[in-house]
Amino acid sequence: MNDSNVTLVELSVDGVPVTVASGSTILKACQAAGVSIPTLCHLEGVSSNASCGVCVVEVEGARSLVRSCVQTVSPGMQVRTNTKRVLEARRTVVELLLANHPDDCLACMRNGSCELQSMAERMGVRRKAFPRTRKEPAQDSAGLAIIRDNDKCILCGRCVAVCRETQTVSAIDFAGRGIRTRVAPFMDKALSSTVCVSCGQCTLVCPTGALTERDETDEVFADLFDPDKVVVVQTAPAIRASLGEALGLPPGSLVTGKMAAALRRLGFAKVFDTQFAADLTIMEEGSELLHRASSGGVLPMITSCSPGWISFIETFYPSLLPHLSTCKSPQQMFGSVAKTYWARKAGVDPSKMVVVSIMPCTAKKFEARRPEMRDAWAWWKDQGQDHKPFFDVDYALTTRELARMIRRAGIDFTRLPEEGFDDPLGASTGAAVIFGATGGVMEAAARTAYELATGKPLPTLELEAVRGFEGVREAALDIDGKPLRVAVAHTLKNARAILDGIAAGTSPYAFVEVMTCPGGCLGGGGQPVAPDWEKRELRRAAIYREDRGLTERKSHDNPAIKELYAVFLGKPLGHLSHELLHTEYAVRKV
Amino acid sequence: MSELGTAALSGKASVTGASARPISDDLRKQVAASAAAYRDKPGALLSVLEETQRLDPNRHLSEDALRAIAEAMDEPLSRVYSVATFYSYYSLVPQGQHVIVVCRGTACHTRGSLGLLQETLAMLGAEDFREDEEASFTTADRKFTVRTVACFGQCALAPVVSLDGVILSRLTPSKLKAAIERVARGGKR
Ligand code: SF4
Ligand code: SF4
Ligand code: SF4
Ligand code: FES
Repeated sequence: MNDSNVTLVELSVDGVPVTVASGSTILKACQAAGVSIPTLCHLEGVSSNASCGVCVVEVEGARSLVRSCVQTVSPGMQVRTNTKRVLEARRTVVELLLANHPDDCLACMRNGSCELQSMAERMGVRRKAFPRTRKEPAQDSAGLAIIRDNDKCILCGRCVAVCRETQTVSAIDFAGRGIRTRVAPFMDKALSSTVCVSCGQCTLVCPTGALTERDETDEVFADLFDPDKVVVVQTAPAIRASLGEALGLPPGSLVTGKMAAALRRLGFAKVFDTQFAADLTIMEEGSELLHRASSGGVLPMITSCSPGWISFIETFYPSLLPHLSTCKSPQQMFGSVAKTYWARKAGVDPSKMVVVSIMPCTAKKFEARRPEMRDAWAWWKDQGQDHKPFFDVDYALTTRELARMIRRAGIDFTRLPEEGFDDPLGASTGAAVIFGATGGVMEAAARTAYELATGKPLPTLELEAVRGFEGVREAALDIDGKPLRVAVAHTLKNARAILDGIAAGTSPYAFVEVMTCPGGCLGGGGQPVAPDWEKRELRRAAIYREDRGLTERKSHDNPAIKELYAVFLGKPLGHLSHELLHTEYAVRKV
Repeated sequence: MSELGTAALSGKASVTGASARPISDDLRKQVAASAAAYRDKPGALLSVLEETQRLDPNRHLSEDALRAIAEAMDEPLSRVYSVATFYSYYSLVPQGQHVIVVCRGTACHTRGSLGLLQETLAMLGAEDFREDEEASFTTADRKFTVRTVACFGQCALAPVVSLDGVILSRLTPSKLKAAIERVARGGKR
């Protein structure tokens, strides 16, 4: 607001003078005056359709109450935020929403994190004021990742906005009219049989329990309690920067050591790290890039770690699939290595192994159940061991689900000691940590590819040009005089822009990183709900803090990875890598 | 990747995604023609939906028709569905040759719309019509469909009924009956 081009407006909020930039909403002015206005449909940067009416205030001279989330300020305006009329209107709005809402808090996944629930408390709702008028809609629980319960939907429109604007997927929209108005996919089909890519961004912005991840904590507890099973766990890079937040610590708390300790207390036989597989991904993907570049392969090559993105390109741009790296995501590389290399090494029956991953992501649940993701089983078959088919990864839990397990098991997280990961699939480098932030895979790949190609280390490890939250960022790497243009995009809207360039033949890039979610995995659909850019920035800072603190910061320096290649895989892009670490894509018709 | 669809092979970006259902060439062509005719005009989607429903032998918008429209207009499927389910004019279920929509809004109700509905149903031989906002009845010979709507927004003219898209106002059962008989004979409304 120091910008001299901005005109300032003076007004008063509850008698207190306040100055804001012209064009600001009354809501902003109230916030500036230190007054908290309740909002439900409005979500900064996501949606502002002024449909709920809970944000009303009184403006001197105006006959009716004013929706502060859309109404802009004018000079000399006198705003009253807590008159009798305002407080009664707000409570009535919430009571009307509750008329068609089940009394289900005790069994609801959002119990304790629900905006409607806390709104009812805050507005002083103490009774069921109005009778139900709409029929109870059916649940949509067909999906592997997302569950929809329209009975809990308050029609705020946030999910529709995020799906359309941030992701350009538009899997859902309002359907019907009047009392039958609902959020629905095309033809009211199950969300899982539509263009939905399971990114889970809608579950982050939904104020209620109407959109949630499929909770699989009961299944994982059952396996942990089963003496016949060997249950190992892997944790994605972004979890260490968000699990604390999910358990009530300040956003951006870095909890790597306590997380490992908590997982051990939960009973996992081995606490491994997806970051091990992230380093492995870099070895394979960096080699693939150099191979494509030197052999006239399809460029730009685009990263393939983010399963929502894979579904997106399979659905909307199938002709560009040859641009995708054939590398599996770290989660899936981990699963196939754990159930082959580690199982053999540890003498564990792979069919009794359960691989659980903790992911910032709802789409990982879908990815883990892609029918082709049974490469460990196929490998054992080649070794002459015929098991009933099993998946490489059995369960992908979100950050939120892990937090639930920790609370349920009564683990006092803050008092846990700092513990480390188990060997050998727990060893990783700083290059793997930064996979959790948009631009991280690019930076990690550059650290390794540069050295593989030139034999010399990168002049500087910090590739500032690809860091940050700008929607699309580009950089030119100089590999021994040969320029390599790269780009990084996060959210599917920005990915679409890159793909349109490729389809039009105007893309100047050799290598592109795409992450489905805003900010990358740190803003993933399985992370603590209701994120904003401030929280994402704090998580991002934690991730780069972790990178700087590690001794090894380049994937090819990971000793456990070197050993894996020496005793098992051979070399990157070799025969066994091809079998276990790479995959294929197909057009997805919906 | 042998099964890439045509849109996929052309390298064209799409907001619709590849369709899991084969859409008939005739439907595709017809929708493409409507889309071309209305493109860049205000309310193009509404017009294409209207024309597609009118040209359909059963006067409805099938799933395939909605898919073809989304594809031709480059609109998300969910958006097309949203519009098609918002306006009472559009029907996603097959309708008879003539469509009678009885307004059941408060004003119409006070001025006897229930009587109009019952009269119409009796006249067309409907036995179990459970009134619900989206309920509809089609005669066995597919000549007539009777539907209700929550409110047409024509309350000043209550009670109103729409007959083949034309609003008939201040109706009495006998006037409505006469109008229905007229169209049944192939005459004007
Ligand atoms: S959505 Fe919120 S208010 Fe509704 S049952 Fe769940 S916790 Fe309670
Ligand atoms: S999971 Fe993602 S793609 Fe699916 S409906 Fe939600 S926001 Fe849209
Ligand atoms: S599902 Fe959730 S986010 Fe979407 S409209 Fe309903 S309450 Fe709002
Ligand atoms: S928050 Fe302003 S109308 Fe909903």
